[in-house]
Amino acid sequence: MSALIDMLAIPVIRNAFIGMLVAGATLSTLGVVIVSLHLMALRFTLMHVGLLGAAAGMSLGFSATAGAFVLVPVASVMMGMLGQRFRISASSMTGFFMTGSLAGAFLLLARAGVPAMDVFGIFAGNILMLRRLDVVLVVVLGLAVVLAFVIGYREIQAVLLDRDLALSLGVPVQAVVAGLFLLLGAAVALALRLVGALLVDAIILLPGMAALRFARGFGSALVLSSVFGVIACAGGFLVAVRFNLPIGASSAAVSSAILGLSAVVTRGR
Amino acid sequence: MSSPAFLTDLTVTPHNEDAVTLDGVSAGYGEGPVLTDLSLRIHCGKLVGLLGPNGAGKTTVLRIAMGLLVPTAGQVAVLGRRLDSATDRSWVRLRIGYVPQVQAPPALPITVADSVLLGRWGCSFRFLRRPSREDRALVRETLGLVGMGELAARDLAALSGGQRQRAALARALARRPRLLLMDEPTTYLDQEAQRDLVQLIERLHAQLNITTVVVTHGREAGWRFDREIHLTNGGAA
Ligand SMILES: Nc1ncnc2c1ncn2[C@@H]1O[C@H](COP(=O)(O)OP(=O)(O)OP(=O)(O)O)[C@@H](O)[C@H]1O
Ligand SMILES: [Mg+2]
Repeated sequence: MSALIDMLAIPVIRNAFIGMLVAGATLSTLGVVIVSLHLMALRFTLMHVGLLGAAAGMSLGFSATAGAFVLVPVASVMMGMLGQRFRISASSMTGFFMTGSLAGAFLLLARAGVPAMDVFGIFAGNILMLRRLDVVLVVVLGLAVVLAFVIGYREIQAVLLDRDLALSLGVPVQAVVAGLFLLLGAAVALALRLVGALLVDAIILLPGMAALRFARGFGSALVLSSVFGVIACAGGFLVAVRFNLPIGASSAAVSSAILGLSAVVTRGR
Repeated sequence: MSSPAFLTDLTVTPHNEDAVTLDGVSAGYGEGPVLTDLSLRIHCGKLVGLLGPNGAGKTTVLRIAMGLLVPTAGQVAVLGRRLDSATDRSWVRLRIGYVPQVQAPPALPITVADSVLLGRWGCSFRFLRRPSREDRALVRETLGLVGMGELAARDLAALSGGQRQRAALARALARRPRLLLMDEPTTYLDQEAQRDLVQLIERLHAQLNITTVVVTHGREAGWRFDREIHLTNGGAA
């Protein structure tokens, strides 16, 4: 325990811990949105767009994070609006966006001669390279997510329950959907930075899925996904530091274990 | 079953104006018109069936009445107010209870009471203005009215189809509406549940006097409407 406290005194480790803790507590609630709005395919596409953004950022000489942080929310809101406008399901747009982004990412990286190790960083995340700014970003986004649920609790609930119903009540459905997609995009971009492209789900999807196996109401689903998110991210972090394992993978393992256990415990429901 | 004060509040006093008037209305969603030159009139206090085959435009008529779809031609008036501006359309939305056409149980976990509470959105709460204790009392009473008082704390997705429709009806009634629009409430129910729901709606209509429009495919559910409107290829009969 005291070894852990000593480690947390190291700024790099402390930044990483705060980043994971806040992300786990807040971004995880978006999993409930992903499942309720059937956005499984969308979030997968956003990860690929994140790669494109990171590649663009790197090859243009900005940071990978900046690239992803701009491109993913933009793409997210665009897909949300297109879906509403033309009544296309998010999943039928994914083929186009996913392959296109990945192709673009590889072309950009090859063209700019980005070293393979840096490219690997995008896939695996670089949590121990988090700077102050990254931590501030995570905290700001976490606050934004919490605020969105506090201010728009009933409105989000109505939209997730039934879009037509929400419209009939007079809920500003377009704005709510745009806001949710924006937060979702930003969350994917940041999770990319924390645990890498391949493990984004560990933060923003699995805790929510596990919560939905237990919850009988919207509020309890949000709270539970936050609790599971903290256990996965902070727990995974501590295990990783203690046993000298990669943090992203360790958190993803805890997250998967939580979902697996939830499935076992609630089987037959 | 429920307090007299509550019922008085919910009951609509009869008046002479039309509840819904469509006058030469044409409307569509971009690719060609769905309704052309449609005129119809729904009198206050009536239980009206809106019938027609798939794709005839029944749901579209409801969307026009709620101001969710603005016609390309013609005039619409609801509860005595012409739907010309966005303000008019929000005004009617506050006075309409709507039961959407549903198929699947919701993916979102939500208690029955919370789902009914949503019917009050815009009336007494929105965004930072939270639901009050009266809202919750009203939800309980409305659930009692449709015979769902016991199930308030259950997850909506865990109910039977018939119970979900009752919850949806309670949600619409929680708005204390002057006009009730129901889109195919009995379609996915078995015969017994259909009969129960039809009886409930007819009883509530007789009791509360709210103008009620029910979209339905045919007569299999045994409705006894005051009047039937048949929609065929954009026309009404
Ligand atoms: N949002 C929409 N965008 C584009 N076209 C639509 C939309 N909603 C309905 N339509 C089209 O308008 C026509 C009428 O649809 P509507 O839903 O009003 O029919 P309906 O009578 O309610 O049919 P059903 O019995 O199947 O519910 C259909 O051809 C449908 O394809
Ligand atoms: Mg319909």
